[in-house]
Amino acid sequence: MLELNEITKSFGGIKAVTNVSMYFTEGKITALIGPNGAGKTTIFNLISGFISPDNGNIQYKNIDITHLSPWDRAKLGIGRTFQDNRAFSNLTVLENVVLATKNSWFENPLNNIINYKKSKLEEEKIREIAKKHIEFVGLSEKIDTKAENLSYGQQKLLAFARLMMNDAELLLLDEPTAGINPYMINEILLLIKKLVKEHKKTVILIEHNLKVVLNIADFLYFLEEGEVKTFGTPSNVLSDPLIKESYTGL
Amino acid sequence: MNYLIHIIIIIQIYILLTLSFNLLLGYSNLFSLAHAAFYGLGAYTASLLMLNLNFNYFFTIPIIIIAASLFSIIVASPSIKLKGDYFMLSTMAFQILIFNIFNNWIELTRGPYGISGIPSPSILGYQLSGPYIYCLFISIVTLISITIFYRLHKSLFGLFLKSIRDDEMLSISLAKPTYKLKIISFVIAGIFASIAGSLYATYISYIDPTIFSLEESVFIMTAVVVGGSGNLKGPLIGTLFIITIPEILRFIGFPDSIAANLRQIIYAITLILVMRYRPQGLVGEYKLE
Repeated sequence: MLELNEITKSFGGIKAVTNVSMYFTEGKITALIGPNGAGKTTIFNLISGFISPDNGNIQYKNIDITHLSPWDRAKLGIGRTFQDNRAFSNLTVLENVVLATKNSWFENPLNNIINYKKSKLEEEKIREIAKKHIEFVGLSEKIDTKAENLSYGQQKLLAFARLMMNDAELLLLDEPTAGINPYMINEILLLIKKLVKEHKKTVILIEHNLKVVLNIADFLYFLEEGEVKTFGTPSNVLSDPLIKESYTGL
Repeated sequence: MNYLIHIIIIIQIYILLTLSFNLLLGYSNLFSLAHAAFYGLGAYTASLLMLNLNFNYFFTIPIIIIAASLFSIIVASPSIKLKGDYFMLSTMAFQILIFNIFNNWIELTRGPYGISGIPSPSILGYQLSGPYIYCLFISIVTLISITIFYRLHKSLFGLFLKSIRDDEMLSISLAKPTYKLKIISFVIAGIFASIAGSLYATYISYIDPTIFSLEESVFIMTAVVVGGSGNLKGPLIGTLFIITIPEILRFIGFPDSIAANLRQIIYAITLILVMRYRPQGLVGEYKLE
C-alpha cells in the first residue's frame, strides 16, 4: 500500500533520516519503535507531506506522492494524528468531526449562501454520519462539549473520530496511548483493532509502550539514528538481544 | 430626528465593515490592517466612476466587486503565507501604499483636497437622497449582508475557516485547502469593505484620504476586538459601542476638541481592558491570543 524508497532527510547539517526504505502492507498494523531522535516522527511528516525528502520517493497505492501537498495526500486517504494532542479547541466534539468531511462542495462559499436549503440538507446528512463516528469512539455523551474541555484521552478518541470522518484509509498514529490511563489505553487499542478489522484501515503507529506493540502490531520497524535497523514481527524483533540492549536497556 | 437617522446610517456602514473584518479575524485568524484600504478602494471607485464616467451607482457595484477581488488576491496571495505579526505588517504596508495613492495621485483622486459632489444612488431616475430614503436603502443592504454573513457563520464553510483559526496544521491534515480558503475569506471581506466605502461616499457625498487611513483600520479592528469575534453578535455590539461613545460624549457636553481626544483615550483603555480581562470581547466566541 505504501512504500518509502531510499528516503533521506536532513535538517541543517543533521541527518534525521538516512536512506530509509520501508514497506507497509494493506490492512495490517505496523509499528515504528526506536529511541528519541530515531526519526520516527520525521517519517510520519514525510509520509503526510509536511516535509519533503532530500532524496528518494514515496509511493502510495502505486502513485508517486513525493511532491504532493499535505492536503492532496489527505485527499488520497492518508490521515494522521499528532504527538501533541491536537484538536480544534474552540469547537464542539460534533463540529470537530463534522468539519473533517471530505465533501468539497462546502468549500465554495456561494454554495453555502445561495443554495442554503440544499447545503443545510447536505450538512444534516454529514452530521448524522459524524454522530455515528462519535458513537463508535464512545464520545456520544460529550457531543456538544468543546474540545478544550475534554480529557487528554478523550481528545485522542476525538482524533480517531475525525480520521474516520475524513475517510482516511491509511492511519498514521503518533503515540496513540502516550499520557493516558491504563483503562483508556485498552479502549484505544480495541478501537484500533476494530478500525483495522471492521473498517479495513491500514495503520502505522509510533509507540514507546512495548506491551502495546506486542498486543496489536503485525509488523515492526526498529529505527535508530535515522536508519532502519530491523524489520519483522514484533516477537522476532523484540527478541533480538541487540535491540533489547539498545532500546530497553535489558 | 435627522441626527438619529444619520447615526443609524453610520452604524450600518460600520456593521458591514466589522462583519467583514470579523470573517478575517474571528474565522480565519487573519489580523489584517488593510481593511480601511478596501473601504477607500470602494469609495474612490464608486465616486470616480459616477463623477467622471456618469455611471449609475448600481452599475459601479460589479466593478467595485471585481476591483476589490483583484486587490484582495494581490494582497492576500503573498501575505497569507506569512504568519502572525508578519502577516499584519504586510497588510499594513498595503494600507499605507493605498493611502499614499489616494493622497498623492492628485490628477485622479484630487489628493488631500478630496472629492466632493458625489451623487446619491438613483433607481430609474429616482434619487435616493435625503436621510430617510437613504436609511431605508442602506437598511436593505445591511439586512442582505447580515443574511449572507449569517449563512456563512452557520455553514460548513464557516466551520472550515474556524478550523484554520484553531489549528491550521490539523486542518491541512484533514484535506482542507487552507491557503485557498483564507484567500476566499480575504476576498469576501475586501468586497464588503469596498461596498461599505461606496455607500459612505454616496451618503456623505465627499471623501478624502484621511477617512481611509491606517487609523481607520485600527478603529475597525477595535470595534471587533471589543465586541468579540467568531460570531455575529460580537461585531454588531462592538459597532454600537464604538459609534455611540462619541455621541454620548457629545451629549454629556464636552466640546468637540476635548471629546475627540477623550474618545481616543476611551477606545485605548477599553481595548487594553478587554485584551487583559476578556480576550474573547464582550460577546465574542474566539479568544485572541
